[in-house]
Amino acid sequence: MKRSYFSGPYALWMVLFTICPMIFVLYYAFTNGDGGFSVQSILECLEPTTIRVFLRSVKLAFICTVICLILGYPAAQILASKDFSKYKLLFVLFILPMWMNFLLRTYATMSLLERRGIINTILERFGFEPLTLIGTEGAVVFGMVYNYLPFMILPIHTALKKMDTRVIEAAQDLGANPLRVFTRVIFPLSIPGVISGITMVFMPAVTTFAISRLLGSGNFMLLGDMIETQFLEMHDWSFGSALSMFMMVIIVLSIGLLNRIDPSKGERSGNW
Amino acid sequence: MYENTKLIELKNISKSFGDTQVLKNVDIYIRRKEFVTLLGPSGCGKTTMLRIIGGFEFPDEGEVLFDGKDIQSLPPYRRRVNTVFQKYALFTHLNVYDNIAFGLKLKKPEELLPNEKKITRRKIKAEIDRRVKRMLKLVKMEAYEKRSVDALSGGQQQRIAIARALVNEPEVLLLDEPLGALDLKLRKEMQVELKSMQQQLGITFIYVTHDQEEALTMSDTIVVMNGGKIQQIGDGKSIYDEPKNAFVANFIGDSNILSGVMLKDFEVECAGHRFECVDEGFAENESVDVVVRPEDVMVVGSDVGMLVGEVESVFFKGVHYEMKVNTGDFTWKVHSTTMHPAGSRVGLSIVPSNIHIMRRMEAEG
Repeated sequence: MKRSYFSGPYALWMVLFTICPMIFVLYYAFTNGDGGFSVQSILECLEPTTIRVFLRSVKLAFICTVICLILGYPAAQILASKDFSKYKLLFVLFILPMWMNFLLRTYATMSLLERRGIINTILERFGFEPLTLIGTEGAVVFGMVYNYLPFMILPIHTALKKMDTRVIEAAQDLGANPLRVFTRVIFPLSIPGVISGITMVFMPAVTTFAISRLLGSGNFMLLGDMIETQFLEMHDWSFGSALSMFMMVIIVLSIGLLNRIDPSKGERSGNW
Repeated sequence: MYENTKLIELKNISKSFGDTQVLKNVDIYIRRKEFVTLLGPSGCGKTTMLRIIGGFEFPDEGEVLFDGKDIQSLPPYRRRVNTVFQKYALFTHLNVYDNIAFGLKLKKPEELLPNEKKITRRKIKAEIDRRVKRMLKLVKMEAYEKRSVDALSGGQQQRIAIARALVNEPEVLLLDEPLGALDLKLRKEMQVELKSMQQQLGITFIYVTHDQEEALTMSDTIVVMNGGKIQQIGDGKSIYDEPKNAFVANFIGDSNILSGVMLKDFEVECAGHRFECVDEGFAENESVDVVVRPEDVMVVGSDVGMLVGEVESVFFKGVHYEMKVNTGDFTWKVHSTTMHPAGSRVGLSIVPSNIHIMRRMEAEG
């Protein structure tokens, strides 16, 4: 039997759920309500209000990605270290949030940050002024980091775990102190993992919705929220589709840019 | 040839991993410019010893001296030794040139250019370039400097690993089974090249292998190890000709090892025969190991031999025939250049000086 037969169901799946929807999105983006050709919606994407939402989305996603990288890299290193591999349970604890529904996690974060939430209750108990936590950009970023951190840790962890310890010993042997071992060997060799991590965090972060609505109290509309509104509230499928396309183009461009940095050209250890 | 000064000394080193003791009270010194081979079966502790010298393991007990100074507290990057790792451990994110330049780029500028008053970036770069090029020439890899190390064959990777270590001009080069992954022909070529490099550069080599032939080919001194203990130290010839115990005899080349009884000085009984020998100083009727090399067993006519037996099997080995000859009490391994077909009766003779008497090994040995 030819091996290509096996790809049949997969091809069908792709046509039904990837290619067809993309064609619909394209169709709606370039038509008006009556079904006639129009670039009206595309032009709307370039209006200042939309651009502002877009820039805010990218900014928050960027901050979120940077924080995830700063927190995630050391965490991945700890998890990948030899002494740690005995404690499988701790590894599971790091990944556990991923198994829970993200809305649930976000509601939990809400109850933590609310005006009368857990943090403020504790602060008041000790006689401090309550803080305005919810409805700030910080709260949105916090929610995003909390949700997406495992996606940064996992690929970096995989890259570090696969690294040959003898390569690290070789670097020490050649005169590299621990800092140099990290900057000259460990980090460069883990770059494919870092790039996967960045991609896996940045992409969902830039398209985030719900988190910004729940934790930002609607003060910070993001691209994802805007698309949701167009479809569900404004019933303007044309503009919604145009926005989706706009976002897709941005993501494709940013992945292309990232892959250009990757010295190994995605040959090794990356998950993408 | 090596100098008669001790460069590295290990004193009473013991090391355990969990419940297994891998080194037991090891004492050894290594002289300047010496080619020392640590030889033994896997798990004998030879690699651990190398890693202790390199600074990657710490002994539970004992001292490691370098040039008379204790270096146990020095991390690997401060030691004046470099290692060629098993399976090379090259940096896959760097090309051939940058792999070799790795150590040089970490050196302080004044180390790199000791005679230069005004050190500039360009001078450093030129110096690194000069040294890397010299190494590439030494290992005959000039044409490959811009290649990715992944694109090299095993033998080429090996050369780069050696160049990467040697470019730092270490006083001691540690080699951990560096030729293990190469095919036989390439391995023989590299053995000769390594030996000539060592003599040309005049540095100490400490070489770990389980291949006795490799050890005999290259070393000034062979350290035979087993079960975490040093069995014998000496040059190749003395270890081959005068093995200290049955383990060494068996590990270095083929041997017939028999249990025998020392009847008195110069007379031993084994395989149902009394042999004249050249050893003395054993207790009367002491149980001993008797070792005879297969090439030292002479095949003679069945009427004149000390022993008479039947040929059980014959294999052609290129230069000689390897035969198994059963004399009733023992089956002898015999190397001979003349063929005697299986089933034929032959006589065996051994001259007294080829019979090696050894004290019984301890049970653990």
